Amino acid sequence: MLTIEQVMALIIFVCMFIFIIFDKIERQYVTLFAALLTIIVTFGICMRSPSAIMRALNIQHFNEVSFWFSKKGSESKMSGINWETIIFITGMMIMVEKMGKSGFFKWLCMKIAKLVKYKPISLMVSFMIMSFGLAMFIDSITVILFLAAVTVELAQLLKLDPVPMILSEIFCANLGGSATMCGDPPNIIIGTTLHYSFKDFIKNTGVIALMSLVAIVIYFLLVYRKELVNEQVTQEDIEAMPEAKEVINSQKDFLVSCVIFLLAVILLITHERTGVTVGFIGVFIAILTLITDLKDSLDVLKKIDYKTLLFFIGLFVVVSGLEETGLLKLLAKQIEEVSGGNTIVIVAIIIWVSGIASAVVDNIPFAATMLPVIRSLAVASGVDLAVLVWALALGTDVGGSATPIGASANVVGTSVAIKNGYIITWGKYCKTSIPATVIVMFISMGMIIIRYCL
Amino acid sequence: MEKQLIITIAREFGSGGHEIGKILAERFHITFYDRNILETMFAGKEKTQEVLKQYEEKPANILFSRRVRGHTNSLEENLAQMQFDFIKEKALSGESFVIIGRCAESVLYDNENAIKVFIIGNQKNKLDRIMKKYNLDEKEADSKIKRHDQSRARYHNKYSIEKWGDAKGYDICLNSSYLGIQKTAEVIENYIKMRNEDK
Repeated sequence: MLTIEQVMALIIFVCMFIFIIFDKIERQYVTLFAALLTIIVTFGICMRSPSAIMRALNIQHFNEVSFWFSKKGSESKMSGINWETIIFITGMMIMVEKMGKSGFFKWLCMKIAKLVKYKPISLMVSFMIMSFGLAMFIDSITVILFLAAVTVELAQLLKLDPVPMILSEIFCANLGGSATMCGDPPNIIIGTTLHYSFKDFIKNTGVIALMSLVAIVIYFLLVYRKELVNEQVTQEDIEAMPEAKEVINSQKDFLVSCVIFLLAVILLITHERTGVTVGFIGVFIAILTLITDLKDSLDVLKKIDYKTLLFFIGLFVVVSGLEETGLLKLLAKQIEEVSGGNTIVIVAIIIWVSGIASAVVDNIPFAATMLPVIRSLAVASGVDLAVLVWALALGTDVGGSATPIGASANVVGTSVAIKNGYIITWGKYCKTSIPATVIVMFISMGMIIIRYCL
Repeated sequence: MEKQLIITIAREFGSGGHEIGKILAERFHITFYDRNILETMFAGKEKTQEVLKQYEEKPANILFSRRVRGHTNSLEENLAQMQFDFIKEKALSGESFVIIGRCAESVLYDNENAIKVFIIGNQKNKLDRIMKKYNLDEKEADSKIKRHDQSRARYHNKYSIEKWGDAKGYDICLNSSYLGIQKTAEVIENYIKMRNEDK
């Protein structure tokens, strides 16, 4: 029997999810209003717990050393707003905005296209790898926004069909995001909450993602072999292509952006050794980007996607409502009962439930909700938490690739294609992406079971 | 050079608004845009035109679409936006035309050369028309009318400030059932001529 606060927390959460799915009201307003209800109704009226409100808001975390510097094994905090995620994403948004403005992404695409001599098969493979590589460090929305736009441009100039390339790039961006701690929002939330480092992710999800990339490149080449073989690029088309350096808007901004990006990558790779948190990296990168061009800083700040940040803030509070009331522990108990405590079954449940759920709903709220569940599940069943973490990360990141609405990159990629007159219907999208997702899900599940459960 | 004339025609399903638009285009010797707008927008891409016909003037399916940073995967919404841009572009180019539906009165709300018309009809007349046109019985025709009008209203209201069919959004609203298609078109023609004389 559920308690009154559990019922309230559940109602708020379900209503929030329904409103997010129906998209009638902008999702940041939905989560913020749901957060307000959680604070007033669940924590205030039902639980009468000011301390639960404080834990949900988590403001005190800024004053703690652990926000800026962390040690491996330090205690993880589940409840409340994950400010580290918010700050890190903000910092990366600022850096990426500046990179985009300087022409970095377009330059990279043009350079690689020229390197592979604009050959359709080589173009597709190289852009898939580039999408994977960039998404390991930069949010997949930005990666796809630039990549899809350049792909359309290249396709128009070279008279190719950009749809196969865009679909494969979207898939690889999501896959690349699953490889690292900072690639995909679910991974950032998991990493910052449970103190898993960049290296931890690379050694676990990274290896699996890389193996999957090989399979996926082969898969997409096989699926689109007819189109790719039939497409011929003439010497005339190649000669009409612009030079990579022509797309750089400002030489100075370009160089500064490259240096800051490189620095961000180094900081992320070494953060376990240096002890700085991703929150610290976010602040450092943001300040560095802004002070290197003070004149432009206001403009860059205006371009931050505040809506997404507010969406995250509201979401964290609502999920803390589920956690504080003990609802997620109940869910964990249910999963444990269904699985009978068998690690392989638990991994299979987490990876497939996360994958299927992420294919139809936004994977960020799903991952945020499931995180406390898997922690309780690990405690209750005695299964290594890390194993469940990798299953959750891969399930949510990869599952999102299956449908046009599963992940943000999919929405942006299909939108760019459609706006340019290249129609991607649900059928067209799912025909290639569902089998690809299933392949990667099986690879992920198989590798997790072989590596950790046998 | 002749003054630009744009006639936007919104209509209830079965009211004959489409036909009235065609008559007006002939009378004023101007281009007529209805579903053929896709042929102009996607010239040479017959397959694309065929696919997009199913998504035209339709509200987005909320369960199958998502919005991210101003982008959406919804074909309905993207197509609507592309059509709005096309309408604006045509209006800016100085071309005179009649356009059926597609929120044109809302897209061109501040265009002085645009005359915004809404055509309604009595239920009986609309039923007769639809039964004859699509070879349906009364019940089927009734449900078709309801379905189309609901869909048009949802589509329109998503992108427009004024509600679909609300007189505030149009210059002239007429019931085509009393005068018939030809005479209703004449009334609008005279209205347009008088308005242009006054300028």
